[in-house]
Amino acid sequence: MLKRRTLIAASGAAALAAPAISTSAWAQNFPRKAIQMIVSFPAGGSTDIGARIVAAAAEKEFGQPVVVVNKVGAGGQIGFTEAARARPDGYTLAFINLPAVNTIVLDPERKAIFGVDAFVPVINQVLDPGLVWVKADSPFKTFADLIDAAKKAPGKVSVCTTGILSDDHLAILMVQEAAKVEFRIVHFDGGTQQQTGVIGGHVDVAFDNVGGVFKRVQSGELRGLVVTDNERSKFLPNVPTTKELNYPTVISSSTRGIAVQKGTPADIIKTLETGLQKAMMSPDHVKKLEEAGLGLKPMVGAEYAKYYADTHAQAKKYTEWALKQR
Amino acid sequence: MPSGARQGWLIATGLMLALCLFFLWQSWLLPLTDKLGPGPGFFPFWLSLVGAIFSLLLLIGVLRRSMAEYEAADSQLPDGYGIRRIAAILASLAVATLLMDVLGFQLTMLGFNAILVVLLGERRWPVIAVFAVAGSFGVYYIFTRWLDVLLPPGVLDF
Amino acid sequence: MDTFQYLLLGLGNSLSGTNLLFAFAGCMLGTMIGLLPGLGPSAGTAILIPLTFSLDPTGAIIMLCAIYYGAMYGGTITSVLINVPGEAASVITCIDGYAMARQGRAGSALAIAAIGSFVGGTIATVALVVVALPLATLALKFGPAEFFGLMVAGLCLVIGLAGRNMMAALLMTVLGLLIAMIGLDPVRGAPRFTFGIPELYDGIGFIPVVMGLFGIGELLLAAERRQANMINADLKNWNPTKQEWVLSSKAIGRGTVVGFVLGLIPGVGAIVPTFMAYVIEKRLSKNPERFGNGAIEGVASAETANNAYANAAMVPLLALGIPSSPTVAVLMGAFIINGLTPGPFLFQEKPELVWTIIASFFVGNVILLILNLPLVGLWAKLLKIPFSYMCTGVLIFCIIGAYSLKQNMFDVWLMLGFGVLGYVLRKLEFPLAPAILALILGPMMERSLRTTLEISAGSFGIFLERPLALALLTIPVIVLGFMLIKPRAFARVRQTDAE
Repeated sequence: MLKRRTLIAASGAAALAAPAISTSAWAQNFPRKAIQMIVSFPAGGSTDIGARIVAAAAEKEFGQPVVVVNKVGAGGQIGFTEAARARPDGYTLAFINLPAVNTIVLDPERKAIFGVDAFVPVINQVLDPGLVWVKADSPFKTFADLIDAAKKAPGKVSVCTTGILSDDHLAILMVQEAAKVEFRIVHFDGGTQQQTGVIGGHVDVAFDNVGGVFKRVQSGELRGLVVTDNERSKFLPNVPTTKELNYPTVISSSTRGIAVQKGTPADIIKTLETGLQKAMMSPDHVKKLEEAGLGLKPMVGAEYAKYYADTHAQAKKYTEWALKQR
Repeated sequence: MPSGARQGWLIATGLMLALCLFFLWQSWLLPLTDKLGPGPGFFPFWLSLVGAIFSLLLLIGVLRRSMAEYEAADSQLPDGYGIRRIAAILASLAVATLLMDVLGFQLTMLGFNAILVVLLGERRWPVIAVFAVAGSFGVYYIFTRWLDVLLPPGVLDF
Repeated sequence: MDTFQYLLLGLGNSLSGTNLLFAFAGCMLGTMIGLLPGLGPSAGTAILIPLTFSLDPTGAIIMLCAIYYGAMYGGTITSVLINVPGEAASVITCIDGYAMARQGRAGSALAIAAIGSFVGGTIATVALVVVALPLATLALKFGPAEFFGLMVAGLCLVIGLAGRNMMAALLMTVLGLLIAMIGLDPVRGAPRFTFGIPELYDGIGFIPVVMGLFGIGELLLAAERRQANMINADLKNWNPTKQEWVLSSKAIGRGTVVGFVLGLIPGVGAIVPTFMAYVIEKRLSKNPERFGNGAIEGVASAETANNAYANAAMVPLLALGIPSSPTVAVLMGAFIINGLTPGPFLFQEKPELVWTIIASFFVGNVILLILNLPLVGLWAKLLKIPFSYMCTGVLIFCIIGAYSLKQNMFDVWLMLGFGVLGYVLRKLEFPLAPAILALILGPMMERSLRTTLEISAGSFGIFLERPLALALLTIPVIVLGFMLIKPRAFARVRQTDAE
């Protein structure tokens, strides 16, 4: 019969020893309970859709619920801030958007409380290349038309983004630099407002991404002018790329992937990497992403970390330029 | 208590004036306009200015109103009975909110339910006990297991 | 096949076994979600999206839509019974609905809400069938400039909720607008008035504020009265009286129109049509002073507008593929995840599917009525629970509601603080409603103004070029100006009516 005191002492010792054995023991049992995935954009949007598809696949893989939690606002800053501050135990995944995370960190006015190394990239999911589109009855039939018009009337042709310092905004800056033109830039809050704005005739051109509108471009309701990538999008094979049109420096896309907080134990990261990779390659996941028009491009571990760093460097250049114009 | 009401109004409008002036100062520190249009400080600046003017007008109105109008006012300050009950509610809420992250929803609410209900006059222990448990452990179970709503687990994290 | 034939086909489909079941389940779940704290319609709908992976798409979407408009009704129940809006749009119902409950007429309030919701929802769906595409395209003409005008018009209408003290109402409006500006600037992302507190980056949440001001404030007020139960009056029969019917029917008619028209405009949100309908009703009433003290037309107009809006908000989604609000965006996500892209092409590619969904709105509205009407008596009886239990219960409810928004105790503290504030303000007879509405409209107003100026490259002249926006801006401001300068000209002669 154990004496009460002994029992208490034993549990005390166990509690003290817990951190020492925690990393490997916890990792072997990881995950033991539900995992939260913080998505920094509204439910129903193209970021959220991709997140939910991978969350469902990951649930099957890990055998624990993977719950998507939307924390929206300020172009993602709200959600990223919250994800960065969560406990680095692997149970709060951050669904990060690049270059959104980068530009938030780089804009001093935002006073982001997290830095570029607050996140450890685990695995990328989607690479959604930038797309410039107009209404079907727009006078701009090709990208060249748009550039011509902008050259003739600097600051008059209106273009819109889904947010300040979003990948759309950076793409506009890249075009302005490469083609030596000046647009009138309008910032909306998300894809829906952007669509309402352009289809309603309030703004001339949208700088967006393939995933959100590809079905409507396919159906002819909207016209895609150019894809800002090195190769044609398989969802929009008829739209030329900036590379083809002699603007090889204008390469911009929005990538979404999963990261954890700095300080997460290495074995938990490894478990996540393997598990999520398997989840992403599952046929169900591939099929659903395809139906949603989201290009799958898994980048794992070091490859993703390098992409993260490269994106940060590119974002830095254009962010500073944008800030100078303020 | 007419003078009490008048004091209440004075304090309230005075505080609102102070609040508006504070917002005015803070928005002045923000960029008001820049090349891209109105800046973050633009709207709040003008709003707080208008607000300050309104509160000033109200304050003046309060000072000029006659005593008779206050006596005719509908609401009165609460008496001892009222104050005790209000204090009971607020104190229980504050303590529960303080402890919840540490002790977790279930334990904190168990205490909260039982104590507040007693403070508000209940004495039938069986009913209190059932209510306390249902309103803490029961509610927790329903919300976290069935509805996917996360509540603070505290020390009972399993 | 023409529209009518499609509709019949859709009706037939939607009444088939499984689809009917889905509609029923959706209505029930929706009402519960509206009722329970912490589960606004978007959160509740989002949770259920994974369910749709395993169900057939039509059924899944029928269910999700039913949850969406069902939740509108659930929110009413708590507004009437305990003055806590179950979800944001129900806040207007609190004003007269709870007053009615305090007079023992909770049953009538809930009944009229159910009926008004049914009528509003059904008529909105009929209108949807008839005019979906052309109206939706027209609604797109509503750009940022017009939106700003609408918000300003809305704010001016808020003075219609003023009651006796106009200056106090104006001040509360301004304070509401200022509080709405705490947080990250919506356009630039620069933190405003946050003093380095990260919890404030997202701004002061609407739900904790409203739960505090209305819910907890009310509890504190009730606590000081010497009464055993929450309400002092006897429960009256839940059937509205003949006079109440007459008053309400006009309110229902007007509410439907307001809700439907505003539902067509993306981005408006459910609160704007609700309070506009309420204020219009008050302005047109022969006895406006009854509003705020249990005017049944107040409840009728708000609730009808609410549901008409919810059904009409599906128009931009189905006709153009543009979601009107975050909740509808969740529905759109559900469509997409199931491989369907809402928009004009879905109408062409899969008409049976779209019409089945539309037909199920009719079915859903009927189900809601059948589900909720009989329960009205039951809900009303809840008010007979002794105050001590009721108060504690409501507080549990509020704590969960506030905490679950962001899993943060900060929101609970916020709610507590606003609770005390609400109590004090009520004591001093400051009107709360203008502040609440300003809290909602403020960010939308600022954002739309700044976007408008971006489009016009900084020139305010854009308003002169757009007649609708100009009208929306100037008319209410002029009316407001008159009301401030010559209040007597606008005051109705009530004494003669009363005597």
